[in-house]
This record gives sequence, structure tokens and C-alpha cells, in this order.
Amino acid sequence: MIYKTGLLLLALSASALSYAGKLNVVTTTSDLASITETVAGDLANVSSICSGNQDPHHLQARPKYVMMARKADLWIRIGMDLEVGWEMPVIDGSRNRKIRPGNPGHLDASAHVHKLDIPDAGILSRAMGDVHASGNPHYLIDPDNAKHVADDIAERLTQLDPKNAETYKENAAAFSSKIDEKMAGWKSAMAPLNGKSIVTYHKSWIYFCEQFGIEIAIELEPKPGVPPSPTHLTRVIQTIQAEDIEIILQEPWYSKKAAERVAEKTGARVVAAPTYTGSDPEAGDYIALIDLIVKRLTE
Amino acid sequence: MNYLNSSAMLMAGTLLAFHASAQEAAPSIPPLNDSTSGAMRSFNPAVSAIVDMYYYHEGSEEGLSHMKEEMAGFGGHGHDEEHEHGGKENGFNLNHVELTFSAEVDNYFKALANVAVSEDGAEIEEAWAETTGLPWGLQAKAGKFYSNFGYINAQHTHMWDFSDQPLIYELSLGEHGLNDKGVQLSWLAPTPVYLLFGAEIFQGDNEMMYVQEESDDLPENDGPRLGVGWVKLAPFQFEKSELQLGLFGASGSHQEIHEEGGATNNYDGVNWFAGADVVYKFDSGKAYGQGDATIQAEYFYRNKDLDLQNGTGSLTGAQDGYYIQGTYGILPRWRAGLRWEQVGLTNEEQEPGEDKEEFGESWRASAMLDFRPSEFSQVRFQLNNGDYDLGDEGVENAWEAFVQLTFSIGAHGAHRF
Repeated sequence: MIYKTGLLLLALSASALSYAGKLNVVTTTSDLASITETVAGDLANVSSICSGNQDPHHLQARPKYVMMARKADLWIRIGMDLEVGWEMPVIDGSRNRKIRPGNPGHLDASAHVHKLDIPDAGILSRAMGDVHASGNPHYLIDPDNAKHVADDIAERLTQLDPKNAETYKENAAAFSSKIDEKMAGWKSAMAPLNGKSIVTYHKSWIYFCEQFGIEIAIELEPKPGVPPSPTHLTRVIQTIQAEDIEIILQEPWYSKKAAERVAEKTGARVVAAPTYTGSDPEAGDYIALIDLIVKRLTE
Repeated sequence: MNYLNSSAMLMAGTLLAFHASAQEAAPSIPPLNDSTSGAMRSFNPAVSAIVDMYYYHEGSEEGLSHMKEEMAGFGGHGHDEEHEHGGKENGFNLNHVELTFSAEVDNYFKALANVAVSEDGAEIEEAWAETTGLPWGLQAKAGKFYSNFGYINAQHTHMWDFSDQPLIYELSLGEHGLNDKGVQLSWLAPTPVYLLFGAEIFQGDNEMMYVQEESDDLPENDGPRLGVGWVKLAPFQFEKSELQLGLFGASGSHQEIHEEGGATNNYDGVNWFAGADVVYKFDSGKAYGQGDATIQAEYFYRNKDLDLQNGTGSLTGAQDGYYIQGTYGILPRWRAGLRWEQVGLTNEEQEPGEDKEEFGESWRASAMLDFRPSEFSQVRFQLNNGDYDLGDEGVENAWEAFVQLTFSIGAHGAHRF
């Protein structure tokens, strides 16, 4: 009996040791998780609340997420109100004081990114649809922003785990050079689209399009968060015909019906591409995600 | 009830003191100072107003709110002149305007105040502070708040999937549910599955089940007079769906005055209730809520045992009820829902010196359709049909129809599961 208890204690302390050696990082979205994995390497266990197939706007503060947050040493969010509908109930529910906003265990990844679509506070109104007061939160789809985020993550990991500072810094730098390296290829692949206009479903592609010199003529949604209406689709069709647009780009979680109806009338091509890693087998990590978007747009 | 009193004080005091001392000065990260989230915005509490109004029509001759007070086993027990405000009028109704203020108080607490303003006046629905930094998975809350037992009790009216409360809640706890002044301690167990325990001690001022009457013939019971306990378990960690199971129980002091044939009988004793709740939610992953589904059900049993104060003998009674409801996102932004309820499957009462009386059961079926143009507005259509057992007057059938409009302005709220 004593022997058995001893073994159990040994096993428990062993597992506690191996557990203590690694940081637990929970990110709100899967693209953040991928960048964190790149920066942390083997030094952290990283998991994401959103699976990549889910729209991070519309999650429920489920017990599953509370369980994920409970053991986190670091919580990383996209910020800019993207997770406003569920983030605090999850953090409150987890009773994990380390990851409350304002603590070192809470990182807002939007701190140093280049932001677009910041509405004029003087005219900001909910009548504009689902707009965010601090700007459009879909910034991570721009690889340049991903570099800023990787640097911020490395800095915060260093604060939580100073002894591995060098590794985090090196990994973030390697990620940045990888992006720079890939960027030349992406730019040349996207060259035929440079200066052209496309149509997107939701206003979630503006950062990507700005990076690659693509104009967004109009969205299928009349306003962010409002599904396409017949009147608006007529306007989309007119725009596509007037500007000779070839591509309608949308995320996989939106129904393709509206886009296909427009495509039928105009001959434009419907491109479904993910904006988060993990939603497609080909988008296993952040770099592969951008590769896939470029491939889908140019094939 | 003295033990309740002292243990509550001790618990609250110890927790708060411990809480403050346990948090040493952790290095903190200065808030982001980008162009839009200036210092003023981050220090102000989040403010929102939710307006809830409806058009209502019911077809009974007697008036349904009156019928509910007459329901055998559940209905009026002496004082009938009080709850006038609960009745819905045929035609336009302004349920209330809910004003909510919430913020982190400091490094130790977050707080929320919620005032429901109706045409009859203002009422504090919630005013509480909650700890944000207790160790070991503990959290303490003090103030006036909704008890977290079951599933629907802690939800504000605008979060319900139907325009009205489940019958068993309305008949047992009244239109506000169990909402009282007190303290709550909850513990998230360090288990691999979600397991949350809660204990609450309340003053015991519910208008239906925990009443203290004013009478010289009744003892004055000191508060707190009501204890509640609950547990919630989410055993699986599916990717797209979540199942949560709950058990709950409560016990507290209750008084009744019965006036029959010129005689006044005063009763004082204990009322307890217990039950179970289950909720399942499915997230389809499609946009605008299409294909999302929820199923929820609760069972509720209550038992009272009151001693006659002006004589010998006791008044005992037991009632129960349940509801089961489901909603489904039939189209982008449109949901349809069905609800089935029964009350009084157990329904008995025994007065001193009399035989035990058995009463019948009642049921209600509801269908609803709602449309959410955005996260901030909602239009709902609902139909109810039910048979209500009115004891000696027999069973009466009644239809109800709602067209409800809910809209919210101000801060973007976050909802719990």
C-alpha cells in the first residue's frame, strides 16, 4: 500500500515537473496560435479557442473555453473588440487572475499593428453595422502585421519566462525573415491582380488587399454583419459589370448562395479561402495559410 | 437561523480580507493608448440600456394572471392584493427599461449595477461586486443578484428564448425568479471536466416562496433566512457543442396567513426546493446563427412544512413542474422555438386537522419565431396554449399571443453560457 502510494506520488510529482517546465498559452484565434507556436517552439503548450472554422465574432462563453483558460499562463487576443461578446465571461469563469486584462498574462496582439478602417468618432454609430470603434480587427491576414504580432508575443513570453529570452527572440526574428522571404514570391504570384478590383463577402480582407495592391469595389454584405439583400446584390452585380471584376472572395463559413447568384449573372469566379489557420488541411500554419489564399486567388 | 447569519458574516469577512492580502503588487501592463481608447473611455463604466416591450393578447374570460393566482396548490395563499404589477395587459406593454453599469472596481473586484425602470418606478435588479483574484478556483460575490441555481434563473428577461418565464418559475418564485440580497461563493473544481460548485446565502425575501408576513402572531425571523446550493457539470469537450448538467437545492424560512371563514391561521416554517437542469447547445459554424440549436430543460420540486402558530398542527404541501424547450436557427438571423411545460404532477396540500388534498396538473405549449436584425435588436412572435387547473372551478384553457420587441443601446454586452 505504502509502496503504491509512493509510486503514485512519484508519478504525480513527475507530471507536475514536466508541466511546470512549459508555459500554457491560450489564444482566441487559430492564426494567433500558429504564430505563438512558431515563436515559442517547444517551450509552450499552445491552444486556440476558435478552431479556424468558427467566426470569432460569434462564440458563446462555453464551459470548454473556461477549462482552457483556467490553466493558461498567457492569454492572447486579437483585440479591437473582436472577442467582446465572450472574452470576459470566459476569463471571469476561469478564475485565473494571471490572464485578466492589465496583467502580464494578458496580451492584446493589436498593440503595434498597422490599423485600417478606424471610424471617425464623431460619426460612429451602430447604424453603420458591425463596425469596431478602434478599427477593423481582421489585421492579422496582412503578413507585415503578423511580424509585429510575433515580436510582441516574443517580448511577452520573455517577460514570463526570462531564461528563454534568446530563443523567443531568435524564433520571432526567424519568423519575420521567413515572411520577408515568402513575401517576394507572394507578390510576384499576386502581380496579375495588382491594381485590380475584387468583391469580398465581409469586410475581413481589407488588410490583405491593401498589402497586395488590390481594390475592394464592394462587399456582398450591405453593411458589416448584415446578410446580403436582393437590392444590394443588384448593386453588386452592377458594380461587377461596370468595373469588370473577376473575383468574389469569401470565408468558408458564409453560404455561397449569394456569391453564386452574382457569379451566374456576371461570370465572376467565387473564391472561398480561409482567414484562419486550421480551417483547411492546406492551411496548417500561418505561412501555409497565406500560401493557400494566394493559391486560391491565382489558380 | 443564527448559524446562517454568523457563518455568512464569517465567510464574507474572511474571503474579502484574504482576497485583498493575497494579491501582492503584481507588475501590471499599462492599457493600450491608441487613438480611440483614451483614458476617459477605459475608466468609465460600460453603460447600456435595454428596452423590452410587447404587444400581448390573451383570450380567457377571467384574465390569465388572475387564473394563475387561483391555480390549485400554487395560487394565492391569503394576500392577494399585492402582486398587481405582474399582470400583462391586453394591448401594448412596456415591460421595463434595463439600465446596466459595469466595470472593474479596482485590482480586486468587478461590479455591476442593473436598474429596471418601469412605468411604476425603478427597481434594483442587481447591484453586486465580485472578486477577480481569489486563488484555488474560488470566486465570491456580494450584493443583490440572481441566484445561479438552475439555468434560466440567472438570465435577464432579454436573454430568454421565449417572451415569458417558464410556468414553474413564475408560479414558484414570481416574475423576478430568485433575486435577493446576499453572498455567493463558487468553486471551480480542479478536475479535468468542468465542475462548478456554488453556495449562496440570501436574506430570504422572495415574494412567493420565502415570505415573511407582518403579524403579531408570527415570529420575526432574523435574516439571512435562505440557503441555496448548486453544482454544474460540463462532462464533454466537443468542438461544436456543449452539454451542461446541473443539480440544485435550497431551504429557507417561510410564513403564510390563511383567512378562511372569519378565522385567521398563521403559519411559520420551512420551504425547500430541489431540482435538475440540462442545457445543450450546438454551434453550426454558419454565419448569422443559421443551423445553431439549443435544448434546455429544468425540473423543480418544492416542499413546505409550516407550523400553525395559533394552535397545533402543521400545513404541508408539495408541488413540482418542468419545462423543456428547443430553438433552431432556421434561416440567417431567424430562429424558431418550441416549449412544453407541465406543473403539478405532484400537487398536494394538507391543512391541520384536514385530509390531504390532491390537486390536478396544468400544461402549456408554446411556439415562437424570432428575428434578430443585428446583435442589438430582436422581434419575437410567440403563441401559448395551455390548460390551467383551477381546483373547484375546473380546468380552463387559455391562448396567449406576444409580439415582443427588444433593443439594446450602449456598450456591447457579453453573455455567459
